[in-house]
Amino acid sequence: MLQVLVNSLALGSAYALLALGFVLILNAVNAVNFAQGDLVMAGGFVAVAFGMLLPVPGIVLLPLVLVVMALIGRALAAVAYFPLKSRPPVSVFISTIAVGIILQNLANALFGAEPRAAPPLFAGGLVELGGIVVSRQALAIIAVAAVMIAAQYVLFQRTALGRRLRATAQDREMAEALGIRVNHVIAATFAIAAAYAGAAGLLLANTFFVTPTDGGNYILKAYIAVVIGGWGSVPGAVVGALLIALFEVMLPSLPLIVPGLAGLPGASWLFSQTIATILLYLMLLVVLVVRPQGLFGEAVQRRA
Amino acid sequence: MIATLQNGRHGPLALGALLLVAWPLVFSTPYDLRVFTLAGIYALLVLGYQFVFGHAGALALTQGAFFGLGAYVTGILGARYGQGFLVTFPLSIALPVLLAAVVAAPVLRLETHYFALATLGIAQVLLLVCLLAEPLTGGANGIPGVPGVEILGLSLPRGWPLLLFVWAWVIAGAFVAQRITGGLYGKAFQLMRASATAAQCVGIDIARLRLRTFLFSAAYAGAAGALFVHTLRVVSPEALEFHVMVAVLAMTVVGGRTRIAGAIVGAVLLVHLPEWFRFLESYYLIAYGVALLAMIVLAPDGLVGELERRWPQAPETLPTAEPLPPRSKLIPREPLLAVSDLRKRFGGVRAVDGVSLALKRGEIVGLIGPNGSGKTTLINVITGLLQAENGAVRFAGEPLGGLRPDTIARRGLARTFQNLDLVDELTAIDNVAVARAAFEGAGLRQALLAVGRDPTLERARRQARFLLERIGLGEEMGRPCGDLPHGTRRRVEIARALALQPSLLLLDEPAAGLSESEQADLARRVEILRDDGITMLIVEHNMPFLMPLADRLICLNVGRVIANGTPEEVQADPRVIEAYLGRRGEQA
Amino acid sequence: MTALLDIADLVVGHGPVTALHGVSLRVNSGEIVALVGANGAGKSTLLRALMGLVPVTSGEIMFDGTPLTGPAWSRARRGLGYCPEGRRVFPGLTVEENLNVAAAPGASLDTVYKLFPPLANRRDAPGWQLSGGEQQMLAVGRALMARPKLLLLDEPSLGLSPLLTDELLARLRAIASDGVAVLLAEQNAAAALEVADRAYVLHLGHTVDDGSAADPGLRQRVREGILSAKGLTSG
Repeated sequence: MLQVLVNSLALGSAYALLALGFVLILNAVNAVNFAQGDLVMAGGFVAVAFGMLLPVPGIVLLPLVLVVMALIGRALAAVAYFPLKSRPPVSVFISTIAVGIILQNLANALFGAEPRAAPPLFAGGLVELGGIVVSRQALAIIAVAAVMIAAQYVLFQRTALGRRLRATAQDREMAEALGIRVNHVIAATFAIAAAYAGAAGLLLANTFFVTPTDGGNYILKAYIAVVIGGWGSVPGAVVGALLIALFEVMLPSLPLIVPGLAGLPGASWLFSQTIATILLYLMLLVVLVVRPQGLFGEAVQRRA
Repeated sequence: MIATLQNGRHGPLALGALLLVAWPLVFSTPYDLRVFTLAGIYALLVLGYQFVFGHAGALALTQGAFFGLGAYVTGILGARYGQGFLVTFPLSIALPVLLAAVVAAPVLRLETHYFALATLGIAQVLLLVCLLAEPLTGGANGIPGVPGVEILGLSLPRGWPLLLFVWAWVIAGAFVAQRITGGLYGKAFQLMRASATAAQCVGIDIARLRLRTFLFSAAYAGAAGALFVHTLRVVSPEALEFHVMVAVLAMTVVGGRTRIAGAIVGAVLLVHLPEWFRFLESYYLIAYGVALLAMIVLAPDGLVGELERRWPQAPETLPTAEPLPPRSKLIPREPLLAVSDLRKRFGGVRAVDGVSLALKRGEIVGLIGPNGSGKTTLINVITGLLQAENGAVRFAGEPLGGLRPDTIARRGLARTFQNLDLVDELTAIDNVAVARAAFEGAGLRQALLAVGRDPTLERARRQARFLLERIGLGEEMGRPCGDLPHGTRRRVEIARALALQPSLLLLDEPAAGLSESEQADLARRVEILRDDGITMLIVEHNMPFLMPLADRLICLNVGRVIANGTPEEVQADPRVIEAYLGRRGEQA
Repeated sequence: MTALLDIADLVVGHGPVTALHGVSLRVNSGEIVALVGANGAGKSTLLRALMGLVPVTSGEIMFDGTPLTGPAWSRARRGLGYCPEGRRVFPGLTVEENLNVAAAPGASLDTVYKLFPPLANRRDAPGWQLSGGEQQMLAVGRALMARPKLLLLDEPSLGLSPLLTDELLARLRAIASDGVAVLLAEQNAAAALEVADRAYVLHLGHTVDDGSAADPGLRQRVREGILSAKGLTSG
């Protein structure tokens, strides 16, 4: 039971980094970055590539992945956001889909379609902790993600750059009229968002491997997390991501936890990954229709 | 497409499309024929997608799913139950339409991003269900051995016959799309896309219009899916996967979102692009992504939009003016408009706080008040754009509470907007003509059954000319509204409101941005309208314009009526002076 | 003496904003200049044009001896402090963060807190929790944190009680005595004329009248003009 919990927490932490990046861009420019999932995939492959060059644990690669992904994020802003910033938000939606196609096929051309694994953060294997056996990687993912989420919090709440990022997200024109170079701030937002997605890619690419087509799955997770958590809410996105992962891991594991369930007719069909995903989407639709402000209420009003 | 060729407006485009059609004649290996058949299938799919994405402006991500559903219906019925084309094809269209109708009610009212996500969620559920329902769908392997097109025992061979069959459907689909979007009904789409609010306020039921675009999209997608399976002879979950949706989106963006030629150009181009980029080997899909990105940035209206910009169509000849048919008069009950104890709040702010007022038939009443006093909110509540928390609005004795804005507009209560909600791409004539849509019976049946150009559009344009002449426009009424000066645009908007043959006209800051001579002209025309029996409520800051015109002034301050009387009385009212000049206005 | 701000024949085109058809005005260092006129006269448009938030069609703006051009952030850094209509404090930032985000090198929170003591007590409250009066103080204080040479103030009285309006406008005297010039756009003409040194009257996008704020003739014309059928015309 606890083991399942640790696993879902690990998956959820990685989703949280992804969703965090998604919501940062959403707040900064009021546009959906559909390439966010492909950035996770790209981060995974960047980690794979560095892993081939340097035989070191993943934690050492993390800073390298963050830097490369930040640059990719900056480039994403340059090609898919800035040329379109005075057009309707749907243009950015489509342009980021295009960037997603490029990233996906670039990965395919460079690495091939087979699943690849990035090096583990510290070491693989299992560790016994208070009587239960959990994977080292899962614990490491939780730790790294927690540190990064905390870092994001500190950056946004306690630094001058963070103030400018938030001010720009809340009222772009006013921020600019107060001397903030809004374009620089937006570029920084894209860089941070991409770096966080890349980190998620590194974290996931050991346990779950990485293939060029992974992006579509991840963007949906980010999207759902942000809707569940409340459109535009940063803490909501983190909580939403954790809930998604909990559900995804828990449902297929239910027969292992609750005795007797496995014996029911159709159990293997019902308690499957696919059913979990279908239920997730159906829940999403229900949330969208019944409670579009998200499960936890609306994000703080953008404008006074 | 036939109509397109006939009226010659898209001559070069149609020619280009024909050249593309001629392409396989030159290189007709079986492979080329197959690729070109697929291009036709995608063209049909894109034609459908243009309804919801192009004409309604909604980013629906279900088009791939409807396509896949149509494909599976034909695959399952054809391969497992041995049904022929005459059974499978209609059902392949019907099921996606049914699905669209079922999901439309909750989903269509969602805002942009939510709508995109909800439709994406529906598409994903469909894919997963298809993978799960293995006994029926064959799961991940799909169903092989789907028969080709079989009609009454005759089977259509692959190659040229299938290609022509598919392209015949494309032409039929293009024809229907042209009929629907090329007439008065299509102009309503354009106004809805430019401003849903303005569309409602000229009496267009936008919820119904949106639903129809969604159903059309599903129908075309289902047909395309069926033809796809007949071409491939297998159906697999690939037909439901997201990349189909991405391809459709890309084709629509590249070709053009609303142009029929754009659908064909986009589909033919992007289906062939991988063939042309083959020399790039494994990098060709990257080039595909780059091309898509470049199109979005450099040619937002697509290739066809770009061509139209380069070679703008010749201005249409102006129609002859035709007066509007008389409208059944409202039962003359006084007052024409009665507002009682109306309240509307936004969060903690009481924008309208217990307003009561009445308008007599034939009056011109000025509504004044400082910034934020609730004037526009009041108008928005009266016209049904906002729902009040309390109070009632009666128009000619009938309560308006709970009615939709388009219903209110059709009853003869018209308005203009502070910020001029016109469609920039449409001519002044068409901007006014579209407001006749609700009265000239513009609809699907009229659009489809008409011979030649849509007669409802022709008549509406003649009436539009009549209205525009009355408000003082000349030859410039044939130019796109985006090119017209501000003062002229104001008058176009008033003419559009007049197209509803209103008993009551609400003008929201009509003199804003007009020069002194334009103001004088506008004042004269407002008086003519009054003499024609139209009652008017004018929100205005410009006292020199309003004072001589108004029979009565009503002054609002922080959501309440603080004065109501003749212009002289209101002007001298100390409370009005205080509202405008501050507390010490008296001493200043 | 050259003016701090010198606007000559400014024209701002059509669009979603009220147009300006030729506005000329000057503001000298340390001076409070009121810009009065009914709404729709173009006061907000003028301030927004000065900030670079709406494009200018023609005319010249000289600020501190050189033409005023470029994006809004560069104008802010050249010494324009902007306090917009509706205040627009950042709702998710605390009072202190709102002030700090606009801070130029050498700016001090204490100066602002001394000017507006109520803000000091609420320094950790998020912007959205503030009352209208507090928000307005914060918006003015935030603009001052950029250490401007010229403070552009758009309708500060909007939504404030007369008492609060008086208090706020009285603070402008203190601000001006520190050498910051103020251009005050205000619908509440009486209050604005009370605090200003000079005034311009804007009507339908033209400057139609100007003079010393204390001039009884000007006050009389403003009072009669705003509500009269003849409109505001000079003389």
